[in-house]
Amino acid sequence: MTEGISGDLPVSHDDARKAAGYVLDYSGADGVEVVLTGSRTGLTRYAGSQIIQNTVQNNVKAYVRVAAGDRTATATTSQLDQEHMQRAAASALEAASASPPDPDFPGLPAPEQVGRAQALFRWDEPTAEASPQQRAEGVKQILDVAKVDNAAGVYETSGHSFAVLSSTGIDCFDAYTRSVCTCLVDTGAATGWGEASSHRKAEVDLEAAARRSLDKAAAGEEPSDADPGTYQVILESPAVATLLEYLSYAGFGAKQVLEGESFLAERAGQNVASPQVTVTDDVFHPRSIGIGFDFEGVPKKRVPVIDSGRATGPVTDLRHATKMGIDLTGHGSGSNEFGPYASQVVMEAGDRSLDELISEVDDGILVTRFHYVNVLERPSTLLTGMTRDGTFRIKNGEVAGAVHNFRFAQSVLEALASVLGVGRELGTVAADYGPFGSTVAPALRIGQFHFASRTSH
Amino acid sequence: MSARVYLLAMNDLLTAALDAATSSGADFADARAVELATESISVRAATVESLDRSESLGFGVRVLANGAWGYAASARLDAKEAIRVARTAVEVARASALVHSTPVHLVDEPAHVASWSTPVATDPFAVALEDKVGLLVMATQEMGKAAGIRVARATMDAYRQRSWFVSSEGAAIDQTIVNTGAGIEATAVADGDVQQRSYPASFRGHLEAGGYEIVERMDLPANGQRVAEEAVALLSAPECPSGTTTLVLDGHQVMLQVHESVGHPTELDRVLGMEAAFAGTSFVGIPDLGRLSYGSEVVNITSDATAPGGVGTYGYDDEGVEGQRVDLVRNGVLVGFQTSRETAALVGQDRSNGTMRAEGWENFPLIRMPNINLLPGEGSLEDLLADVDDGVYMATNKSWSIDDKRKNFQFGCEIAWEIKDGRLGRMLKNPRYTGITPVFWGSCDAVAGPGEWKMQGTPNCGKGQPGQTMRVGHGTSPARFRNVSIGVGQ
Repeated sequence: MTEGISGDLPVSHDDARKAAGYVLDYSGADGVEVVLTGSRTGLTRYAGSQIIQNTVQNNVKAYVRVAAGDRTATATTSQLDQEHMQRAAASALEAASASPPDPDFPGLPAPEQVGRAQALFRWDEPTAEASPQQRAEGVKQILDVAKVDNAAGVYETSGHSFAVLSSTGIDCFDAYTRSVCTCLVDTGAATGWGEASSHRKAEVDLEAAARRSLDKAAAGEEPSDADPGTYQVILESPAVATLLEYLSYAGFGAKQVLEGESFLAERAGQNVASPQVTVTDDVFHPRSIGIGFDFEGVPKKRVPVIDSGRATGPVTDLRHATKMGIDLTGHGSGSNEFGPYASQVVMEAGDRSLDELISEVDDGILVTRFHYVNVLERPSTLLTGMTRDGTFRIKNGEVAGAVHNFRFAQSVLEALASVLGVGRELGTVAADYGPFGSTVAPALRIGQFHFASRTSH
Repeated sequence: MSARVYLLAMNDLLTAALDAATSSGADFADARAVELATESISVRAATVESLDRSESLGFGVRVLANGAWGYAASARLDAKEAIRVARTAVEVARASALVHSTPVHLVDEPAHVASWSTPVATDPFAVALEDKVGLLVMATQEMGKAAGIRVARATMDAYRQRSWFVSSEGAAIDQTIVNTGAGIEATAVADGDVQQRSYPASFRGHLEAGGYEIVERMDLPANGQRVAEEAVALLSAPECPSGTTTLVLDGHQVMLQVHESVGHPTELDRVLGMEAAFAGTSFVGIPDLGRLSYGSEVVNITSDATAPGGVGTYGYDDEGVEGQRVDLVRNGVLVGFQTSRETAALVGQDRSNGTMRAEGWENFPLIRMPNINLLPGEGSLEDLLADVDDGVYMATNKSWSIDDKRKNFQFGCEIAWEIKDGRLGRMLKNPRYTGITPVFWGSCDAVAGPGEWKMQGTPNCGKGQPGQTMRVGHGTSPARFRNVSIGVGQ
């Protein structure tokens, strides 16, 4: 049993050592690295106020990276027995040997070079052990509060373990649980939204998420038309989290800097946001969901990417830190094509309650969350997307009725440069592209935010 | 292990799961084992950026108990685990039934006992790696001949999915699907401006059902220098102006347009609100069937799992229903939805049209687009352009965003050209357009003919929770739209 964790892990440290042991000294390879991921995910989906899909997945993957001189390739398998592990190693070695030289390969990291990672073990037994019945009862709790016949969302309880082992001596293991609740209430005339995420299910307040969603929907009925244009806005935590997630995707990684696509390529060291804005990648933040090392086993560091408004990033992996001659931060994503990635973005809280932020707006728009955001221009961080599930007009410091949804077209950095107030409550939004990652964000009052068009419904 | 022994072992495993499910109280059960092999190569500036091979093998059991669904899946392949997973699926279904008021009813489907495979001329996994890498290196070297290129990248992907499906109704299906794709992309950077050109398509190129013959047809190196020079030229090209004008889209952008504004809104689970909290719903309702004017008379769109070359082509879907071709939009009118055995009855169908697919073995099947095809009209691209006095021609998708009802969209392309008096003029950068789905398709006055029609494929259609990524096909040709708002976004 791993220290700090009781109960049954999806993959234990011993499981990982045994599987990696089949290939770490694979004949013909100059170096071998094995990344093992295991997850046990229970996810209950409801829609139309009843459970529509309900799954329990047990998944495991081993990523075997083999070095042949300065060339590497990776083979992945879902089977941890000797035959499959060695077949993966052979496949990776064959692929590496067929590749041209890679002069930028820095070698596999070694502990004496990069340090030994400390596990975070954000493992919560009740979350890991939650049964399908408990999740169904949780959904019933949500629906009892939502009191409509058309509520939809998910209730997830899951456990995940990660290990990295290599022929250079990396041997690290971590595990975490996560619980996610989302609730969309549709009254027929309007929709509302509430969500909560944590690594402990006890901290996920199902009823509060449902109540919030119901209140938003009730307040959203009979929306009026507001003209597209540039407004002062209050973005609630889920909306801010989405912008930060795309800001990270568009430019926090060293590879994007190297390729000239990141705002950091031209603006590192400059003031790019209001002095009230500090954005870090910080897996150690108590609200973050994640592990203490990257996909090469390099210890993660807390990295300020925007520090009191000044651009200070990027995050790096060993390849890019070596090539660019900058600090190694432990953000290897496991994909050399994608490069290092900031997956636990945190914006520092301010001193205002949400009501206080709203009270400071004479004429503006309140946004609950965004939908289907995409990057239009990376260097300028220009994004587009829609508002949904609660968009309201603010007049004289008070919410003054719902408005139809807008399409926005806005540079995130320009929005952050006009921040006028930062909320003191932080919300955690768990990544929806997989179990690994989270964004922690406050609400913001932004001076200028551009809505390009509005919807007809 | 021989292929025959392997097949028997899989069937034994799945049969054990079915038996355990039904003996635990399941009223219906199906079990599906999947063996997925992939190879993904990315070459950047003549160096291999990544070379990843994967194999994933596991199984899932789907059951109905007390009128509700349960699903469980595992990568451990032994009879004891099969029984444990099946019992878990029943336990999950019983839990679902605690909060489930409308019992699931499945429309009938014959219990198919069959096998099906994608026609493949050259197995992409059997081609020597040196040859595949060598081709991509050559393509990046050709791109590198254009002065001013920051990144020259070439990619190649191959997928082979073998699946075994059995059900408590007696179905037993063995199916192998092979998809292969490749592409090149050149990125030019100057003064904070980043411009990219791709060939044959953006986002890892062109993907089709079949083998390495698809890659050989592309001739990537021959297009390298042209693509790179266009990326550099875009840096100094004028911005696409704003305004309302005639828009002609190339086949790749029409693919994205069909995908987002026809494919997703006609998925019946979205229409019914089953995806409301995540991807959203649809502006289309069940009463719109046979009534809604989705587009102009030249707009004819099918859901076709039988189309040759489509990455959404298969013999049977992941609940054992035969792949079919059905009309979604006929002469501009909505006439069909993509359905499943659970949802078909709700639109008066006595049979599912076979669109349930799952990513891998671990996921619950969802309604997923097979190949959603815009049927060809008449004439060539030149004919479409010839009837435009003043407009814009946009090519190759770059960005996309659409609201939760699939109605308000904004899409961007890599490149555009002015159209003046029926001919292409100046190159324009950052072209974008916006619209409202039925209004936009209503403004379509021409779709190019069979000579321009091509099966396209996208590898990354996301849907569901836990998130699933699916390969989806779209047969399209260039099309023309009048009175479109372009150059939007600022």
